[in-house]
Amino acid sequence: MLESFIPALMLAFSPEVILYVAIGVFMGVTLGAIPGLSGDMAIAILLPIVFFLEPAAALGLLTGIYKGGMFGGSISAISFGVPGTPGSAATAIDGYQAKLKGYPNKALMTALYSSVIGDSTSDLVLIFLALPLAIVALTFGPVEFFALYAFSLLLISALTKGKVAKGVAMAALGVLLAMIGRDPMGGTLRLTFGIPELAGGLALIPVLVGIFAVSELIIQLSKAWMARASRIMDDTRQKAESLLGDYDASRDKLTFKEFRSTMKATWIGTTMGTLIGALPGAGSSLAAFISYGLAQRFSRNRDEFGKGSLEGVAAAEAGNSATSGSTLIPLFAFGIPGSATAALFGAAFILMGMTPGPRLIYDHTEVIYALFLILIYANLINLILSQFLLPFYSKIAMIQSRILLPIVCVLAILGTFAAGNSVIDVWVLLFAGLLGVVLRMFNFPLAPLILGFIVAPGAERALRQSLLIGRGDWMHLLSSPIAIGLYTVAAIMILTFTLVLRDKK
Amino acid sequence: MFHKIKTSKKVATTAVASMMALAPGITAASPLSNDPIRLVIPFGPGGGSDITARVLSATAPEFCGPRIDVVSMPGAAGLEAVNFVRNAEPNGHTLLVTDYGPIVTSGFVDDVDWSHDDWQPVMNFTEWLPTVYTRPDHPIQSIDDWVAAATAEPGSITFGHASPLGLVHLPLILFEMETGLENIHVPTSGGGETRSLIMGGHIDLGMTLPPSIASEVAAGELTALGIFSEERSPVLPDTPTFREAGYDVVLPAWLMIFATSDVPAEAVEHLQDCFMEALASPTAVAMSNRVNAGIEPLNAADSTVLYQNTVANIGGILREIGEID
Repeated sequence: MLESFIPALMLAFSPEVILYVAIGVFMGVTLGAIPGLSGDMAIAILLPIVFFLEPAAALGLLTGIYKGGMFGGSISAISFGVPGTPGSAATAIDGYQAKLKGYPNKALMTALYSSVIGDSTSDLVLIFLALPLAIVALTFGPVEFFALYAFSLLLISALTKGKVAKGVAMAALGVLLAMIGRDPMGGTLRLTFGIPELAGGLALIPVLVGIFAVSELIIQLSKAWMARASRIMDDTRQKAESLLGDYDASRDKLTFKEFRSTMKATWIGTTMGTLIGALPGAGSSLAAFISYGLAQRFSRNRDEFGKGSLEGVAAAEAGNSATSGSTLIPLFAFGIPGSATAALFGAAFILMGMTPGPRLIYDHTEVIYALFLILIYANLINLILSQFLLPFYSKIAMIQSRILLPIVCVLAILGTFAAGNSVIDVWVLLFAGLLGVVLRMFNFPLAPLILGFIVAPGAERALRQSLLIGRGDWMHLLSSPIAIGLYTVAAIMILTFTLVLRDKK
Repeated sequence: MFHKIKTSKKVATTAVASMMALAPGITAASPLSNDPIRLVIPFGPGGGSDITARVLSATAPEFCGPRIDVVSMPGAAGLEAVNFVRNAEPNGHTLLVTDYGPIVTSGFVDDVDWSHDDWQPVMNFTEWLPTVYTRPDHPIQSIDDWVAAATAEPGSITFGHASPLGLVHLPLILFEMETGLENIHVPTSGGGETRSLIMGGHIDLGMTLPPSIASEVAAGELTALGIFSEERSPVLPDTPTFREAGYDVVLPAWLMIFATSDVPAEAVEHLQDCFMEALASPTAVAMSNRVNAGIEPLNAADSTVLYQNTVANIGGILREIGEID
């Protein structure tokens, strides 16, 4: 074991590999910051070059992009309220509010630190606990997964600013939108209204960017237009978010005290992210939302959530970044890719002639040890490089909105198109934007809708698989202690929130 | 995105082309222009089709002339890719790389404005052999065990098979049609999920393609029961075929390159020749071995026979189970 550690060390810290990691981080942060584009996409595009690179250099590049992209998504989430990646949807809730209040830099720094803490912890877990955790992950079958999905839906809906009914309604709407397309079990078409292009369902990126971003853009643009037409300056709010002159950079520095106050949320996010990341099929967005929900539950400043709470940013970011190490656990332990990113890493291994699975580490000890080392120090590079890049990005966030918004709008449309090479996705984006405007006007929370949309396909599959396996007996859903535990906690929580902690009017 | 790139690339391709003209024997009377060739795949990146297509895109430009791009269009369950190729200019520059699902099965069950005759095969990459497998501590360890268990208690065995009517589901339907056995069909999101459900003990059997389980089977961590093909798989030499066990059920899948039928014959012939030449090159062979793609190219004529057989075969199954009339 030790004799291969020294060559792995030399491999991981060769100047060439370090350079590739740094290039990867830079690309990841920048791409992740563009709404619609994600690190996953960059990895997919760059896959063929692993044919031509040394394994360690190739893995360094991919790791860099992945980690940079994870954090980069939060830049646009905080700066424009547009989640750059699905994982950063939860970050947008509080991050964008923080920016509107005039401290984007604090939010970005919080996101960076919690992201790096979550990520590093998750990497250590991958390195030392991959095998034991993988066995736990396998005990999650359809019954347990359905319970987890139900739990997360209830948790998020119930937590929405005390408006439980509106939250549940939005989650249900998200589930309904996710049901458009082909029935995953029977293959028949549902809710497509005879439009053949909807057969594959609505894609996540256009719905996400549309609901969160395009709706915001439409509202901002119409505001700007109204202001111009009536020649009345739209006061306070407009000022706070648009004028560079009003932005006081010296007040917008994250203090150590503030950093410390977010630590509890960061650790909640780190724990949940690492655990959920290890489950095959549950993604970073789910981890971020659950972490956000739990951090709110256990926070002393619960009321600040949704209004620019740094704790909210920390929990969501730690939650999504902490999946990055553990999502590789099923890949290393069983050769099962647990997420889209893990599938791309799996493909990269295959392209390099290494079969993902338990023997990977014995057959290619040096390269895998080098990858472990890269996973750890890529976080450092991410920290340093992003520290350097953030001042520029947070300035961009403070550019006047009538200049910024059209640019973001164009980027969102381009990014959406590029993600699936599909024109329908662009229409979905615009319609989702209009839907978002209507929902915002009636004060519906948007996060439960997105969560419903994200978990619905998995939840439906898990439910129907459970019923198939249980021969149609609904009691089969209660056949596992893990599932019963999750349902009990969910029931207690929803009762607490609806009866005890209700918003008093 | 394409349009944007196109204009800037044009300059680059002309420059490359003028250099190419100096290279002997390549540009001689090619029916293709200098625009890039696009291999459109109806699946997401990173899967078997993507990896196989990339072997070709990395090696064939030298033989075919223009640059080759792999474009992934998973939208509308793959039909977006099919329609994109169908609506492209019929000049041999836009080709579809697919298994039989989005073209043969969809051509039957989906409401599409093309028929199976609107496509012509250019080349076949490989044949994929659907394989039934389970975990090693499961009581069912052979085809006979399975048949015995399913006969003793019909409808008691859970079988994971990715998307309904797909490559690793239709063989199960065909097998049940032949034998009259009944199993519980559990659709999953794909090979990865099927495998974790089997390894976690949530379902009994599953179906996949040999390369994805070969090393686990060799190490004794999974058991391959049988393969729905005429001959054994080279990567699973110890696994019998269903035919050997006495059940004449053969339904291999393939990965084929298609052009629309209005693409001129000389363009298709040129593509077939240069693709096959490229895949026979030492670089392509080395790459194919490294990624376990098992590339064994068939020319256009042989691929056409295979395609037409599959159309007849799948049509028969779908009619039998009442999916189409």
